[in-house]
Amino acid sequence: MSEEGLKVVDAFDLDDELRSLLRPGEMVRDAHERRHRLPRYFYEIPTYEAAKQIRLTPNFHLNELIRVDLKEAARAQTYPRYVPCAVRALAFYLQRFRDQLGGSVHIAVNGGYRSPGHKLAVAATPHMWGTAADIYRIGNTILKDQESIEKCNRIAREVSDDFWAMPYGHEIGRADDHVHLDLGYLVIIPREISEDRMELPQLQPRFAIEERRRGDRRVSGEGAELETDEIAGSVREVPDEA
Amino acid sequence: MLKIRERHGLDDLGISFHDYETTIQWSYNADSWFHAASTMKLAVLAGVFRQWARDELALDAPVHVRNRFTSIVDEQPFMLELGGSDSEVLGNLGRAMPVRDLAYQMITRSSNLATNLLVDVIGIETIQHALAELGIDGIRVLRGVEDQLAFDAGLNNEVTANGLARLLRIIADGRAWSPEASAEMLRILLDQQYKSGIPAGLPSDARVAHKTGNISTVDHDAGIVHLETRRPYVLVILTRFAPDKARSAAVADISRDIFKTLAGPSAG
Repeated sequence: MSEEGLKVVDAFDLDDELRSLLRPGEMVRDAHERRHRLPRYFYEIPTYEAAKQIRLTPNFHLNELIRVDLKEAARAQTYPRYVPCAVRALAFYLQRFRDQLGGSVHIAVNGGYRSPGHKLAVAATPHMWGTAADIYRIGNTILKDQESIEKCNRIAREVSDDFWAMPYGHEIGRADDHVHLDLGYLVIIPREISEDRMELPQLQPRFAIEERRRGDRRVSGEGAELETDEIAGSVREVPDEA
Repeated sequence: MLKIRERHGLDDLGISFHDYETTIQWSYNADSWFHAASTMKLAVLAGVFRQWARDELALDAPVHVRNRFTSIVDEQPFMLELGGSDSEVLGNLGRAMPVRDLAYQMITRSSNLATNLLVDVIGIETIQHALAELGIDGIRVLRGVEDQLAFDAGLNNEVTANGLARLLRIIADGRAWSPEASAEMLRILLDQQYKSGIPAGLPSDARVAHKTGNISTVDHDAGIVHLETRRPYVLVILTRFAPDKARSAAVADISRDIFKTLAGPSAG
């Protein structure tokens, strides 16, 4: 399944609880007091199975970019789940990073998209835009020293100036036990979307992809479903290899 | 006991004993405070199961495994020096482990990494609430493991023999929030991998639900001893010695002495 199988939703049209978690269009401050507007358009992921099947790039599936732990709000972990559309840009750059690196890239739990309701979301971070990735291991190598982290950071910068790599260091705003890459506060607005809030959703269908793929997505058994397969011990790790 | 203390050159010794068979209780210096070392993990376990019993934490909830924590002194980040006891948890770095598995590793392998991850999940205040709700005033938990800045500031976890014994009795009685929570804690404690303390002084068929604790100057063990022929007893042995002294077999010797006293002169 490709990302084209995903429904695009305007988060303003979601239920109250989800809106309060995703906070579409709200301004939030980052650690430097700069203000950023949270994304409004999200992909709807109907089931965990769908997340595993949706291949964003040759080596990255959607489920790899949405793994979270108990710090994420329970509703934000319940399917259908929502991830900002910019996640596909992140996957694109991660693929180039992986190609350059020549090894599998493991995005950590809490290392991809985190909702603004996540307990780590004390200030704006690109994780809330779906444009950041935390990497603790490349292949079987754990990134735990300056040399390995700075090597990855260097490769990321070579891939693109768009990629920002958190510098190595022990202080807040630096990383000494993982590689953090992000694209900043990037928002993607799908071309079939009209951004006029005055339009009534039911009169102005804006989910062209959804209309085409409705039958495929609305499979039986979808609904409240917590993902479990990334829990070590009980389940397998899904690698980023295709 | 005093002979054992003298023989092993202990600076301090605390013992608390309660026998469910005879209802005999006995203690020695049992309200003296000792550095808790890893016996504080019993309190973390209690905190975890308090949250579980209140439906505020699922045992299968995933926790991101990461070796980075925040000092309680100035919120500066610090990392643990990881050892062999952390290998299982460390193998999941960057992934998630369920709360249940972390609790198991914290107790049975005394994993410091699992302990600090769980302290992060539930919070120190929850642990303190848990102890207060159980009426235990002989355990003070102020921080996680290896918070050097807190240690330097004199902020340490401390226990008394009576405090640990009270917590173990509540678990043994099935009164730690619910019989189910107590049974689950007991099950984990029975799988303890380190057996050079209380179990080393017992017959090989004894089953001990216990938690050890040792650093360079203390060696403790706190457990519920299950023997085939009698009801269990709770035994807590806390020892302190000079930094230049090697860890001794004092805890095992005291455990053996108590077992022989209970079993009579025929006991091996």
